[in-house]
Formats: sequence, structure tokens, C-alpha cells
Amino acid sequence: MSNPLLSVRDLHTTFDTDDGTVRAVDGVSFDVDAGETVCLVGESGSGKTVACESITKLIPTPPGEIAAGEVRFDGEDLTSLPDKQLTEYRGGRIGHVFQNPQGALDPVYTVGDQLVEAIRLHRDVPKSAARERAHSLLDRVGIGDVEDRIDDYPHQFSGGMKQRVVVAMALACDPDLLIADEPTTALDVTIQAQVLRLLDELQDERGMAMLFVTHDLGVVAEIADRVVVMYAGKVMETGDVYQVFENPSHPYTKALLECLPGRGRALETIGGTLPDPTDPPDGCRFHPRCPHAVPACEDGDQPAFEDVGGSHQASCVLYGADYDEPELAEANDD
Amino acid sequence: MPSTEQQSPLFTRIDWRDQSASLLDVRPRTAGLVLALAAVAVTFVYNHQVATTALVGTWDLRRMDWLLFVACILLVRYGVVPLVANWERSSGTVREFLRRPAGLLSLAWILGFAVLGLVGPELIGMPRVDFYADYQPPVFTTSHVTNIANVECVGPVTDAGCHGTWQYPLGTTSTGENVVNIVMYGAHIALKLSITAAMIMVVVATAVGTTAGYFGGWVDDVLMRYVDFQQTIPAIVVYIIVATMYLGKGLFTLALVFGLLNWGGIARLVRSETLERRESGYVRAARSAGASDLHVLRRHIIPNSAATVITAATRQIPLLILAQVLLAYLNLSDVRLRSLGEILNRALPPLGVGWWVVASITVFLVGTVLAFNVFGDTARDVLDPKEVA
Repeated sequence: MSNPLLSVRDLHTTFDTDDGTVRAVDGVSFDVDAGETVCLVGESGSGKTVACESITKLIPTPPGEIAAGEVRFDGEDLTSLPDKQLTEYRGGRIGHVFQNPQGALDPVYTVGDQLVEAIRLHRDVPKSAARERAHSLLDRVGIGDVEDRIDDYPHQFSGGMKQRVVVAMALACDPDLLIADEPTTALDVTIQAQVLRLLDELQDERGMAMLFVTHDLGVVAEIADRVVVMYAGKVMETGDVYQVFENPSHPYTKALLECLPGRGRALETIGGTLPDPTDPPDGCRFHPRCPHAVPACEDGDQPAFEDVGGSHQASCVLYGADYDEPELAEANDD
Repeated sequence: MPSTEQQSPLFTRIDWRDQSASLLDVRPRTAGLVLALAAVAVTFVYNHQVATTALVGTWDLRRMDWLLFVACILLVRYGVVPLVANWERSSGTVREFLRRPAGLLSLAWILGFAVLGLVGPELIGMPRVDFYADYQPPVFTTSHVTNIANVECVGPVTDAGCHGTWQYPLGTTSTGENVVNIVMYGAHIALKLSITAAMIMVVVATAVGTTAGYFGGWVDDVLMRYVDFQQTIPAIVVYIIVATMYLGKGLFTLALVFGLLNWGGIARLVRSETLERRESGYVRAARSAGASDLHVLRRHIIPNSAATVITAATRQIPLLILAQVLLAYLNLSDVRLRSLGEILNRALPPLGVGWWVVASITVFLVGTVLAFNVFGDTARDVLDPKEVA
């Protein structure tokens, strides 16, 4: 695993607003290996989407800006590439699926035309060949009766069907990495499961890597190989999905898991709200809401990552050398 | 590029390397557009270099006609062709439009106006002066002006009143011009002017509005501040200066000046439309699929802003028609044009005698202005996707 497909290092993405500079992503690092599924988890506003869109610089600039950091994809630093070369990565090697399928298809064109367009952006092929390809893509993502439906307009499709078309578009040029930004959030539960299964199958089939953004821990448990927990623009904890779920180490991750319904208890919530993104607190970003906060949490920058077993790391002072095991164990007993 | 070996057998296997788009793989409509524009350009050069006095026989083209040709080609390419090519999709909109009585009526009037303006003058010719047939009243009416003016009545005379005839259904002017010819020729002028000036406005407004909205930042600031500045320039004054000093008082000057100075409002609408579309899912999806800015603008932003542009342009057309009549009324237009304004000037008191000349022209102008406004309103109701939900 020395050479991951995607390696994000110390990424800072900021937005200039009238209220000051919003540090939406503030020093985030994570890796995605070829063929692997990594889930970005966190509550709304924690910077998951911005982190994803920073990878291929889809964030609107201005006001957005990638202030610092490095995004290495297959050895190439995408943050320093000119726009013209970036467009070859977008869609060509990195596919995107967005949250809301309702708006993701242009109402003016048929779905077939839009797929052909997506293919021809990257492949120098005649329309007939692109259409043949579009046909097989639609067939694969589960649009029945493709011959009839390929010339239909988006408004003639249901939400779930639209998301399937969007997935087909993202896969049109065989990307090595699929970035799926809450692809199931806008769908109803039964359709969610279908789309998840489809993504899972497609990933197995083509051996592509997937960066999956969600706030739904149930979905994470279902599909992830590894988990990156984000809070207020920082990574709180990363690790193998089993490690994170069985041994959640950062108090924030624990709190998130507590919030899952169906554990025979009253629904828990995390008290307080996300910190002001223009003026985040010193120390650990989570300390104002953390039940285990100690004075050391309030100083300096976000604590360094501490190993809590294997590749499992947490950014919490309680795992530092200054704190002994009993406290940790006590924290884990909750 | 990813290797095709990774592809699963579930997908139809396409060897990308064997297939490559040929240069001939352009859409027929693009080819048609290029050919038509090239034909106009070649004829233009031929007309100016070789056949300088007349193009064919005695028939010659003037600069207004060239402008009109280009405008018509653009209108066909970006208006008629998409409407017909996507008939499956557009027929619904058209049917929705025709279901509204106001829409149906306005469309009928505009079509009538367009057909009369196009073929009318060719069929029955320009208004001709005829001193043996002046002051004739319209059919079914009687006039006593013949007594005063000492002219002969073409129709029967009873009780010293001259009866109108079918020879001059709308009567004649004080110089014996048939009012039917006058109105048709007025429609012809209005049509030429509307098509050319509207096309100039649409092209410039779309280019400026989408650029400002899509790129934002200082580009937006500069372009929109320029629009603010341009809105303070009265087109009529500029027309008077340019027409009297440089280009002459013809339709060409009018179309050019009004077309180039009146697009600001449309550009603003297009800009706000673009701002909204830019954040839409399909633009984000297209960008994430590797589309360039130009591609996004051409394929997604402009087609989706078309409804706004069409509506806004139809609202400018009546203003143009009235401005032309007004300028002609004030003798600020070429008299050879035989514009309705100039006829009105002579037909109103103290020069005018018969009421029918003014009446016919007024009915035509009011009807046309109303038709375009109602058409624009109905088109907005039908086309606006926000109201369709």
C-alpha cells in the first residue's frame, strides 16, 4: 500500500465570504487505494463535500480556493495542474455522482444524448459507437427496455432511475476512481438499497476505487473498507471499517455511533452545534461538545494522530503519551 | 487512460482505438449553417467586387438585405431547426401554447403579419401615387371629401357622397396610394427591422449575459457596469446623429443602432438565468465529467436560457416597430422607405382629410404591438420551467 491511487495530503480549501474566510477543509489527509471503498463520514457542514470537490477542483473559484495541500492521483499532483489537463481527469479517470439526481440531468437533452456527450468528451469516437456504448451502460445500470428509453427525456424518469442514469454517466469512460457524494440521500429507502447494491456490484466488476461521502453510518457499515471521520474541516479518526465500528476511539465517532437509532435506547443526540467555520476553536475542534474534554484539548492545533491499533488512528489527546491506559479504557466503557 | 482490459464482460466491449471520429462527423445543421453563411459571404464579395451595379439583371441588394440574410439564417438555424428537429418534445409546448386563446390569437396575428410582410409587397407591389384615385374611402363607407377636394370618385356617388369600392378596400391617401399596399409595405419594413435588430440583440445579449454570469468576478463587474452605462445612452439620439452624419437614415442604421444599444435588459436577464443554471446539478455533472467552460456554456447554459431570451426579445420588437414609425413621423427616416410614420404625418390634420388612412395604420400598429406583447407573455407562461414544476 505504499503507492495509493489517490492520496490527499494536508488539504486546505477556503471560501472567501463577507463574514470572513471559511476554512471548509482545514488540513485533511487520507488515501484511497485502487479498488478500495473509502467512506467520508461526518455531520452536515463538516467539509466532506468540499473535500471531494477539491480533488478535481470542482469547487467554484472564486470564492473557493485550494489554499494549501496536495492531491496526488496516480502520482500526479492535481492541485497544480492547469484546467485543461484537469478536464482529462474529470470524467476520464475520476467519475462523480452527486447527491440530487433530479437536477443532475439536463432537461433539454435525452438521456442517450447526455451519455453520448459524456463519452465523446473523452473518447474520439463517432456517435454511433458512443451510442452503442451508452446503450450497454444503461442496460448495465438496470434501465429496463433500453431501446425504448434511451431517447426519453430526464423528466420521464423517476428519481431512482435518474440516479442510475447519472451513475452510468459517471462510469461512461471507465474511471479508476468514483467519487459518490451522498448518492442515495435524496432517494427513498427501498431505492437507496438498490442503488447501493448497484454501486457495489459495479465496483467489484470493474475493480475501481470509490470515495463515498455519507452521513449515514448504516450505509458505511454496508459498503466501506475504510472510514474517514470528519468534523468541522478536520479528520477525527481513520481506520478499517471493522476497527472503527467495533472500537470507536475518538469521542466524536463514539457520539456519532450513539446517535444511531435502534439500540433499544432513547435517541441520543450530540449536544451543541458545529463551531463557527470562520473562527474555529483552538485545540481539538470537537472539544466544546466533547463529554471527555480535558484542559489539554483546548490548546494548540488539532491533536496529532495517535495509533489505536493497526492502521486505526484517532486525533485525540486522550490517546497521547501523557494519558495512561485506564482513562482510555474508562472512556471506551461508555 | 485506463486500460480496457479492466472492463468486465458484462459491458459491450468497444475497442476505442479502432474507432475514431472523422471530420465529416458534424451535425447536418452545423454544416447547413456554415454553408449558408459562406454562400452569403461569397455573394457579398461577388456583389462588391464583380457585379457592383446589380447582382442579377437590375436586381441589387443593399446592406439592409445582407443583414437580413444573416439574421434569417441564424433564425432558421437556432429557432426553426431545433423546434422541428425536436418536434416530439416541442410539440407539447406548442400545443400548450395554442390551448390558450390569447396565445392562439397573438400567434395568428404574428404569422399573418409575417406572411403579409414577406410576400405582400412582392405580390401587389409598393404603394403607387395615382392622382386619379385620391381620397377614395374604404369599401362600405361613404365620404364627402370628394366634394371639397374636387376629385373624382371611383365608386358610385349618391347624395354627393362617394362610396368606397373593392378596388380600394381600405381607401386611398391624398395622393392616391392604396392603403392596403401601404399597410403591407409597413408590415414588410417592420418585419425586416424586427428580425435583424432582434437577432443582433439576442446574439450580443446572450454572449455578454452568459459570459458575465458564468465567469463572475471582475468579468461580471466590467460587463454589467458597461450595461449600466449603455442603458443611459438614448438610442434615438444616437440614431439621429449616426443617421444624419454617417450611415444615412435607412433601416440599416436603425437596426444597427437600436440592435447594438438595446440589448442591455436582455443581457441582465440572461446573466441572472446563467447564475442560477451555473449552480444546477447538470452543470456540475457536466463539469465533473470533464466538460470545458465553453462546452458547458454552449451545450447547457445557452439552451436552457433560450426561453428567457425569446420572451425578452419579443418584448423588444414592438418597441422597435414603434420607434421606426415615430422617427419616420418626425421625418428622421428615409422618405423612399414609405414608412407608416411618414404616411401618418401626411394623413393627420391639417394635411390629411380622410379618417381611414390613420385608422388602418393605427389598427395595424396597435394589433401588432399587442400581439407581440401577448405572445411574449404566453410564451413565458408556457416555457418557464419553474411554473411547470
